Amino acid sequence: MVGPIFVPTGVLFAGALLEIALARILSRALKGWLAFLAAVIALTAVLAMMPGIIHGEVFTATLFDWDAGIPLTYHVDGLSILFMLMGTGMGSTILLYSVGYMEEEQEGITRFYVLMLLFIAGFVMLVCSANLLIAYIAWELIGLCSYFLVGFWYKEQAAADGSRKVLIITHLAGYGLLAAIMLLYVGTGTFLWMDPKVGAAFSGGVVLLMIVAAMAKSVMYPLHTWIPEAMNAPTPVSALLHSACYVKAGAYLIARMYSIGPWHATSGNLLLVIGCLTMLVGVVFAMAQTDLKRLLAFHTVSQLGYVVTGLALGTSLSVAAGLFYAASHALFKGTLFMCAGAVQRATGTRDMARLGGLSARMPVTTVIWLVAAAAIVGVPLTNGFVAKWLLFDSALSAGQEVVVVVAWAVSILTTFSFLKATVNVFYGVADHELRVREVHEVAPSMLAGMGITGALCVVFGFAPQLLMQPVIGPAVRSLGFEWQVQATWLGILTDSGTIGVTVGAAAGLVLAALFGVGAYHFVRAPVGQQPVAVFTGGENLPEGDTLGAADFAEMAEEAFAPVYSLNPDPLWFLVWREIREGSVSVGRFASAKVERWPVAVALGWAAAVFAGTWLL
Amino acid sequence: MELIVAGFFTLLAFGIGLYAVSVPQGGRVWWMLASAIVVLVIAGKLTSASWAASICLDLAELAAVALVWSHGTPEAIAAGRKYLYSIVPAIVCTTIALALIGTGANVPSASLQRLLVGLLVIGFALKLGLIPFYFWLPAVAASAPPMTTVLIVSVVDIASFGELVALREVSPWIFGEYAPVWLVIALLSMFGGALLALAQTELKRMLAFSTITDLGFLLIGLIVGGPAGMMGAWLGMLNHALSKVILFGAVGLAEARIGQTVTLDTRGLAARLPLAGAAFIIGALVFIGVPPGFGFVAYWRIYSAATQFGGFALIAALLAVAALDLLCYARAIHRTWLGSGNVLVTESPEWLAPGVLTALAVLAVSLGCCPNVLTGTGVSGLLAMVQ
Repeated sequence: MVGPIFVPTGVLFAGALLEIALARILSRALKGWLAFLAAVIALTAVLAMMPGIIHGEVFTATLFDWDAGIPLTYHVDGLSILFMLMGTGMGSTILLYSVGYMEEEQEGITRFYVLMLLFIAGFVMLVCSANLLIAYIAWELIGLCSYFLVGFWYKEQAAADGSRKVLIITHLAGYGLLAAIMLLYVGTGTFLWMDPKVGAAFSGGVVLLMIVAAMAKSVMYPLHTWIPEAMNAPTPVSALLHSACYVKAGAYLIARMYSIGPWHATSGNLLLVIGCLTMLVGVVFAMAQTDLKRLLAFHTVSQLGYVVTGLALGTSLSVAAGLFYAASHALFKGTLFMCAGAVQRATGTRDMARLGGLSARMPVTTVIWLVAAAAIVGVPLTNGFVAKWLLFDSALSAGQEVVVVVAWAVSILTTFSFLKATVNVFYGVADHELRVREVHEVAPSMLAGMGITGALCVVFGFAPQLLMQPVIGPAVRSLGFEWQVQATWLGILTDSGTIGVTVGAAAGLVLAALFGVGAYHFVRAPVGQQPVAVFTGGENLPEGDTLGAADFAEMAEEAFAPVYSLNPDPLWFLVWREIREGSVSVGRFASAKVERWPVAVALGWAAAVFAGTWLL
Repeated sequence: MELIVAGFFTLLAFGIGLYAVSVPQGGRVWWMLASAIVVLVIAGKLTSASWAASICLDLAELAAVALVWSHGTPEAIAAGRKYLYSIVPAIVCTTIALALIGTGANVPSASLQRLLVGLLVIGFALKLGLIPFYFWLPAVAASAPPMTTVLIVSVVDIASFGELVALREVSPWIFGEYAPVWLVIALLSMFGGALLALAQTELKRMLAFSTITDLGFLLIGLIVGGPAGMMGAWLGMLNHALSKVILFGAVGLAEARIGQTVTLDTRGLAARLPLAGAAFIIGALVFIGVPPGFGFVAYWRIYSAATQFGGFALIAALLAVAALDLLCYARAIHRTWLGSGNVLVTESPEWLAPGVLTALAVLAVSLGCCPNVLTGTGVSGLLAMVQ
């Protein structure tokens, strides 16, 4: 099956070439539609492979030798298809959204669409490649695309600085992957990961090196600090980067390690700790943000912690949970970013301190935001709930209660954070400038893009089996696990845990909902009457003041203040400063000592060379 | 193989010539000397592994000294003098060694081997500007016009390195038994070059030091040998030549337009010189081996050879240097080219020099995307020879 395997990447690369070839002919909108068309064809080609994958087929084919003895071989299995769907599916909707978003952009439109298509193509290539060297090239290709896209507005200092950070952190960590590949190659003589020799050489050290690379791509603590700086990119870039084509590359690599060689328990435990820490740090930092996109960026960090935790637990159910979480995150995070972009496009700002009251002026965007926010928080009937439910269940089944407590706590903090964002942006009151500004809904193509992904959050929340059986199942099986998950409507598992767990959890859920409704009615001030008195622990609140979501968030920020000292950026800065100062010292020494007496130094070294040859 | 290198040099010489038409590098003397260098180097490549080749390359090196001198400024004359003081002993050392080695058919006695290897190490280290014999290179880069430097680092130096590659093939004992000496020079050049490049504030000097780093990498390929090491060194030579034309060319173009030396305090050049900026960024990423650029095609082979030779320790060392390279180039890209500008750039309708840089940058990426064009056909001969 040579043809269909290469169609997705082929079409995306061809689309990029067409964009360049027709750059002077096509209008801005047509360039957008061309890119969208290429992505949709790629998505269709991926969907065409689905029937075979569902029936357990694996497609392998070689197109040509990329380099002498280095074949461009694809190996498409269940895991590849899942990530290909994420890349091309999210890519399509985001490119549809881009048609409207980019129509006011004055320059760089061709560059934008070319890079977006290459970005998606690189991701598809990564998840399909059977050749580790080609996979590394794809890994770096998406790195380069994100670097150039984050620096799209390269004349602005903030964008340029953000892209520099992206390049340095992710590329340097990528050397871990390269070193791992080289060690495997030297040990086995092959770059093909399906070769049993590679599995035999898959040592703990190799796994560790790959984890380092995956950590930077999937924004694991402490290699996550590039992602908030990447927010200076156009919103479609942020959406694609966060939802599918970048942060998921690391998750893919971690998952793929299951099919390359034996899973090392130590590595699993290490990843588990990293995953939980990332969840916590991400959400705590998110709560302190006032920039809407930065807030979402830190939630990406936190959510990827969930994904990695699921993958690290190492059971069939947990891997299913991790993969379902990855797919769900692609949908709701992509939607949230597109909504944030719509807000920014309509209002000219993403500062939550200035925003407010948009529910009346952008009702469709508000509804879509609410759905996606509900999904990330884990409200039932959304895919986020199913993902969390699966993860909690798998952690309990694996005897990892601490993981459940951490994940549960993070969910609560996520709720606070999104309450704050939702209230500040869509409800409440905007600042004066925004109140008088004409604000209206964004272009239909933008609404369509985010509407599709928002709707899918509900579809897969209501009927997760639509995603579970045909997509997640083959992916889990391709990693060597037995498929044991029998999910039904709303994500209720019919074969996992005990009936007590299911009934207990359902009862808890109902109680929580009742408590929430009761609290809402109790606290809400009746219209036209005095606010309900709030006991603050001491003095009364000032006249007319009430406690809102933002206040809760601020309290949480104060409570978690020590966590902010966990920001690893000062450490990275210290490393950079030491290197720079070291180089300056070497430079000073070279000009003051070595270059000042070149003849003497040269003679001295010549003598040393002769001495060296004589001693050997 | 030599034909491919000769063709590559011809292509680069053509590009350099077009660039020099657009951005003048010197008068008639410059053109004569530059042409002489190109002709001598190509003649040397076409008469490979012979005394004629060696003489051609030595003459090209002396012509390069004259080229630097011809610029006429006190700095250029001083740099030319440094270059001459390095090249003359280098020629003496290598000529004696090559004369004693002959065609490589005979393996000399152990004591003579030691003397010859010592002479070769010193001779080539002086010619290539390897650390600790690098004195002339940064001085030349800082004082000579960019295409003069390019002719030295991309043509003359690379031809000299090619001579070393040829020597590795006919007399493998030079590297095999004396690998530690070469390895020390290679590691010193890699780490020293990278750190010294990072210490620079002037871009042309930075580029000169990064040349030393890269030659250290190529030397590692040569030391390890085998198909991967040799091919890595050979492809690395071509990548070095191509990338340095792009990098020096972009900086030279910017200097011509702003009328001053480009340093890390020069900001936002890409806003006014987008093609030169794009060429510099692509050239830099290709040069340091970021895929899918041409550099990676050479580097992965060198990494693989290094892993085979020195295990994790050596590849870790190489990747550490690559990381320093990245920090250095990322700083140059982001401080000098991207962001908001702070210099006045003269408007010019001239398109030839930016066009040349763009074409070469496209070539550098294309060769990285389809390396099989080079490695699958033209270089198969090299593989056969090595095996």
